[in-house]
Amino acid sequence: MRLRSLVLWDIRFQTRYGFYFLYAVLTAIYVAILSAVPESWREKAAAILIFSDPASMGLFFMGAIVLLEKSQRTPWALAVSPVRAAEYIAAKVMSLSAISLVVAAVLTAAAGVDAGANAGAYGSVGAGAFGSVDSYIVLLGTVLSSAVFTLLGIIIATRISSLNQFILWTVPVELVCFVPAILHLFRVGSPLADSMAANPRGPVQICMQTCTQTCTPGSSSAAAAAAWLRYYPASVCMEMVSGQVPSPIGILMVMALIGVLFVAAKYCVLNMWGRMGGGKL
Amino acid sequence: MIQVNNLSFSYTKQPFISHMTFSVSPGEIFGFLGPSGAGKSTLQKVLTGMLTAYQGSAMVNGVECRKRTKRFYEDIGVDFEFSTMYEKLTARENLRFFASLYEKKPRPIDELLEMVGLERDGDKRVSQYSKGMKARLNFIRALLHDPALLCLDEPTNGLDPTNSRMMKDMILAQKARGKTILLTTHNMQDAAELCDRVAFIVGGRICALDSPHNLIMSKGAATVTYTWLEDGEHSASCPLDRLSADGKLKKLISENRLQSIHSSEPTLNDIFMEITGRTLL
Repeated sequence: MRLRSLVLWDIRFQTRYGFYFLYAVLTAIYVAILSAVPESWREKAAAILIFSDPASMGLFFMGAIVLLEKSQRTPWALAVSPVRAAEYIAAKVMSLSAISLVVAAVLTAAAGVDAGANAGAYGSVGAGAFGSVDSYIVLLGTVLSSAVFTLLGIIIATRISSLNQFILWTVPVELVCFVPAILHLFRVGSPLADSMAANPRGPVQICMQTCTQTCTPGSSSAAAAAAWLRYYPASVCMEMVSGQVPSPIGILMVMALIGVLFVAAKYCVLNMWGRMGGGKL
Repeated sequence: MIQVNNLSFSYTKQPFISHMTFSVSPGEIFGFLGPSGAGKSTLQKVLTGMLTAYQGSAMVNGVECRKRTKRFYEDIGVDFEFSTMYEKLTARENLRFFASLYEKKPRPIDELLEMVGLERDGDKRVSQYSKGMKARLNFIRALLHDPALLCLDEPTNGLDPTNSRMMKDMILAQKARGKTILLTTHNMQDAAELCDRVAFIVGGRICALDSPHNLIMSKGAATVTYTWLEDGEHSASCPLDRLSADGKLKKLISENRLQSIHSSEPTLNDIFMEITGRTLL
């Protein structure tokens, strides 16, 4: 009951602070971009757009949200209320996931995926590159990615006191999360990349081929690294966002990461409340 | 209501709160007085369950604070010195949000707004409120769930005389409703007017604990100062309890030659300085 209330009020705060308006505008821009790119690029462009914005918005927006709350001292009041840290975190994750989900659904539709289709238009290239595609997988991937990034955002935001500090802290997180995921999306170093490159279907494949030839000139260690990259949680999320069904081990890795991040976020929130709660007397 | 026994707490190896022992009865207004860094904030954090790594015992509402669950907060209301409201929400929305966090049925919001004279401003955003209005709104937020214990932090700080009077009357009205109130203030007049008992805290220790009246009377007897004309104006003083032994005064009274006579008592601030060797400001 309290969690439901926290989620609804979080959505209300986000609406009042213009998050929904902002994402309505951004979604319109993204849809325009998607409709402008060649069809053969569209699914990769959609995957990158979804992963880099709606799915990872939590990382950036948690900084703004928590700093805003700190500036209004509302965590002081929450610290001495019956709200549990876990409820506070879950509400933030759910409310931001809701925006991520809506934006991702629109972008998925704009990229031409039919709900439940196993190899729709969105998956036409993906089918060659990653296998079957399902828009539900895209949305599930978005929610899982959103949870990971929101939890990372909470962990960082509770420990900093200015937006500059927050931006600095997000840089290494972005590097660790985005670079491997994008490399994985383009199959850099993957033994599969050769077969994909041998079947060029457009600029994306040419790009992948170039990357492959540059990065893995027959290097078995790079191929091994790429194979391991498949289980890297950010890569698994990217796989799902790009419409591919992940391996069970990959899913397990993501769920384990969410669990670990949730516990860490809970510790950070309690720490923040401990520093603030009780008031300065 | 509150039973603190041999309480000690430390942030480092140096003790910050040392061997505090006191109790607060139901329906009592208990004041903490002390300079900044004296340990009042830490003490309140312990009593509101925010700091649990203490030695000794701190029982609130029959619950040992280190073992508190979130239900502990169903019966505690904390009014911070600063506004802890969401500025973009209206007063009514803020109260609805905070009321939704408690299992107890909240007190009617309109009734609370009317109690502090904000009934016509309930639909204004908190960002549009003056400092006095925010202080009153903060106060009723602490009353929303009708808690048995109220912790008030500098409730009259920065308020104009009218708002300050209104706040003190509201505090006394809560006492009349049987609430137990912990009050921290730098304002000795407020403490003397509101508190049944006060504790002087300096260096993490309680230096004195009694009713304001007893503290004043025990440390400095009231004096009587009188003036008369005799080749110009003269004045003399004598302790109130030795008035009958003052021959000069008796003579002046019998001759009806007194120009003025008045008694004066030391203030709580004088007593604080005498006991602790410190000022509060």
